[in-house]
Amino acid sequence: MSDAQLEVKQATMRFGGLKALSEFSLTVKRGDLLGLIGPNGAGKTTAFNVLTGVYAPTTGDVLVSGTRVNGRRPHEINRLGLARTFQNIRLFKELTALDNVKVAVLANTRPLFSRELMGRLRRGTGAQRAGAKVLGALDNYRDWWRAILGTGGFHQEEADVTARAGQLLEVMGLSARADELAKNLPYGDQRRLEIARALGTNPQVLLLDEPAAGMNTREKADLMVLIRALRDKFSLGILLIEHDMKLVMGICERITVLDHGETIAVGTPAEVRANPKVIEAYLGEAAHA
Amino acid sequence: MAGLLQHLINGLAEGTIYALVALGYTMVYGVLKLINFAHGDVMMVGAYVGYAAAFVLGDGALGSLWGAVLVFLVSILFCGLLGWLVERFAYRPLREKPRLTALITAIGISFTLSYGFQLKVQPEIAGKKVTLLPGADPRTFPEIITPAEWVTLHVPAPAPAPDEVDPAAPHDAADDFVEIIIWNWQVISFVIALALMGGLQVLVFRTKFGRAMRAVSHDHRVAALLGIPVDRVIALTFMLGSALAACAGILYAIKDTLIQPMLGVQLGLKAFVAAVIGGIGNVQGAVLGAVALALCEELVVGYASSSWRDAVAFGFLIVVLLLRPQGLLGRVQAEKV
Amino acid sequence: MLRTTSTLVVAGAACALASWLFASSQFFALQASLVGVAVILAVSLNLINGITGQFSIGHGGFMGVGAYVGVVTSSLLTQFQLLPGAPQVVSDQLVLLIALATGGLAAGTMGFLVGLPSLRLKGDYLAIVTLGFGEIIRVAIQNTKEIASDELKLVQAQGIGAELAYRVTHLGRATGLSQIPQLTSFGMVWFWVFVVVMVTRRILGSPHGRALLAIREDEVAAEAMGVDTTGYKVRAFAVASFFAGVAGALFAHFQAIITPAQFDFVKSTEIVVFIVAGGLGSTSGAVVSAMALTLLPEVMRSLFGGFNVEQIRKPLFGLLLVVIMLTRPQGLFGTHELWDLGKRKKRPA
Repeated sequence: MSDAQLEVKQATMRFGGLKALSEFSLTVKRGDLLGLIGPNGAGKTTAFNVLTGVYAPTTGDVLVSGTRVNGRRPHEINRLGLARTFQNIRLFKELTALDNVKVAVLANTRPLFSRELMGRLRRGTGAQRAGAKVLGALDNYRDWWRAILGTGGFHQEEADVTARAGQLLEVMGLSARADELAKNLPYGDQRRLEIARALGTNPQVLLLDEPAAGMNTREKADLMVLIRALRDKFSLGILLIEHDMKLVMGICERITVLDHGETIAVGTPAEVRANPKVIEAYLGEAAHA
Repeated sequence: MAGLLQHLINGLAEGTIYALVALGYTMVYGVLKLINFAHGDVMMVGAYVGYAAAFVLGDGALGSLWGAVLVFLVSILFCGLLGWLVERFAYRPLREKPRLTALITAIGISFTLSYGFQLKVQPEIAGKKVTLLPGADPRTFPEIITPAEWVTLHVPAPAPAPDEVDPAAPHDAADDFVEIIIWNWQVISFVIALALMGGLQVLVFRTKFGRAMRAVSHDHRVAALLGIPVDRVIALTFMLGSALAACAGILYAIKDTLIQPMLGVQLGLKAFVAAVIGGIGNVQGAVLGAVALALCEELVVGYASSSWRDAVAFGFLIVVLLLRPQGLLGRVQAEKV
Repeated sequence: MLRTTSTLVVAGAACALASWLFASSQFFALQASLVGVAVILAVSLNLINGITGQFSIGHGGFMGVGAYVGVVTSSLLTQFQLLPGAPQVVSDQLVLLIALATGGLAAGTMGFLVGLPSLRLKGDYLAIVTLGFGEIIRVAIQNTKEIASDELKLVQAQGIGAELAYRVTHLGRATGLSQIPQLTSFGMVWFWVFVVVMVTRRILGSPHGRALLAIREDEVAAEAMGVDTTGYKVRAFAVASFFAGVAGALFAHFQAIITPAQFDFVKSTEIVVFIVAGGLGSTSGAVVSAMALTLLPEVMRSLFGGFNVEQIRKPLFGLLLVVIMLTRPQGLFGTHELWDLGKRKKRPA
């Protein structure tokens, strides 16, 4: 296993005749803070959807913590350590902020079989994965019984989950809003809650899809500081989609530029900024806009 | 062999009727992403309106061409209006609400129609008994087409096994042939259904209205931005589907001779299943699914047991959903995230 | 665990006491049982349609599975002296409990099998598949035979295995299965009402309930947060089907005869009306509206005597659905619960 937490090898995504993503490659290691930019419709969100299992890539491979995850369901990929936020905010609107995070923390309360064993099986061959499914299902039904009967440290676990979710809300500066319904939160708080929820799944790599969209300059700047702090605190690898070039340049260490599904440039902010293809892609967009 | 041929003919005739109803489901699903549960009941209403029209026209009109045409026209107009009313007052107010809301409404309308028609309301108006609601008892549909054998084929019967032949019995020439009957109403119904489907195909893929309909089906918000009168397109789609259902209702009544208020629920469900099997939202798929389903049913009735007939549709459906959830001709649609 | 057990014991004792106190009033017992069965059906369907945000219209079919399996079980067991020396009431209720368990488990297993393929699919497919399932159950029962008492005696002589095989294939077709042991006491019905409400509340207060709500709110996001959406939906569906089966078995054991038509599309739609009127997602709403709408025909009968209530009830339910959806789609309670009225936190938004 390499030290890469997320590795994408020449992933291509076709919809009918349309190539939404073409031979996309990328590696995210622990502690990386990478950017993915490009004009509207460049395929950034498609790339996220391919990585997180919403779509299976037409060709190419996606590896999470060294496991090939092509065609696996999004929740399985999430369990392997990849979490995301959504560009168009997809919170659980009628749940409180705290419950939103608790839904995500759920995945970490599984004591019947050791997490190590389950992890090994999930990474394994077809038969082993089928076995993991059966064991997982057994565990799930047992867990429902525990919830219904209120047995076996159930209340303690519930308290732990609440505590963990509370911590994450605090990190994201949302403690005061814990009991409010997600739909009633101000826009910026909703974006931060999305991040808190993603962190709840205890990821190694975090994918942020335009986390600052709709925020004012001041809020954006604050958020970027926060993102950097998150990376250090949780030793995450972070991949960030951002439309605002300036912002990405200020925070990301390396940047990949997409246009029409093609990777047109990879490099440090300075390199990317000087790349004529990138300038043309963005200027082209400006001219059309 | 001869038996099989007869089943195929019957299945094809039945399948075209299913197809007419299935088209209504698939068109409405196409533009609104709504399973219009009430659609089958519109068909039932169509059959009853045809019954009433034939009744009013009187015995003189039965069996004549103009009589039959009038019966169809009255039913089509009435159902078109009903379809419009349902869309306008029950579905349109809910268009921007969660999809479940409209689905529940559709079930409510279906219930209201199918059970409302089981009430018998016959007030006396000006000294005459006027039936407003027919009641639950089945009624015999008047013969607006006089049934006749269109073609009778004589197919050589398989030779009986030697030990079954009684050498003493005189040879009966009738035993050498099996009759395959194609009824005139089967042909008429097949031709009408085919013509309607052909017309629909032209309408959807060759006309401006069809283009607008497909645009609304793709994304009605964007279609509205492009200046397409979305409300009118959806209303027309409902009326069109309801008109097809009216025709199907009458064709079914001619075939089965009996009509009753639950007719719409039973046939409607099967037609809907046919639409899903073919790929919901897909016009050709609806026809293919309907014919495939009807053939399947006919074969089960012919070779297994007629009492399992009503289970075939759903068994077929579950198999299709397991193997090819998008339906035979449907395309997988990527959900926007 | 201890608390749960003691709660159940207290609830059971209370129900038994009520049963004994009101034993003299046939009318009351029948109405109370009917209402209780409706409540169990509504609360359990609400777990799928209201809390998980899926849409099943085949609850009647699962109820039917429970009813028939339950009756077969109890018919087999009533021949035996399960508890030698115990009073008839006790052994009857024991037989009933076993019948409820088998009926519920059979329905739950069916729910699992039906849910597994159909809950993978998004959208309205579940509605169609559950509807179709109900139809298949109906057709299957119609294809069984009627019990002939001389045949039955012969088979009974061959042992319990032969009798089981005979009874399973002789469910009375469309005409119905009669000679059902009359075991249901309304205390037992209301004990199960208590159980289904408690189970639903416990699930809702656990990580599993949150996951179900998350699926209702946004399936894509729930999946992305590591929630195995298919698995959760199937489990919720199996649990709800279990209770539908229990309700069916309870129902069957106070009916003189059960027919497949009692568990058809109409029944399923009635249950949908209950939860829609009460407010999808609200357990208390389901309870209140199931009670009110079950008693409504009785009330109407006493108000307008001689009027055919049964006939007008069905179209009325249809109209009710349409009117609710157009005027108050959140139903009576929305997603609120009676027991949360006091403790709702008020914070400035």
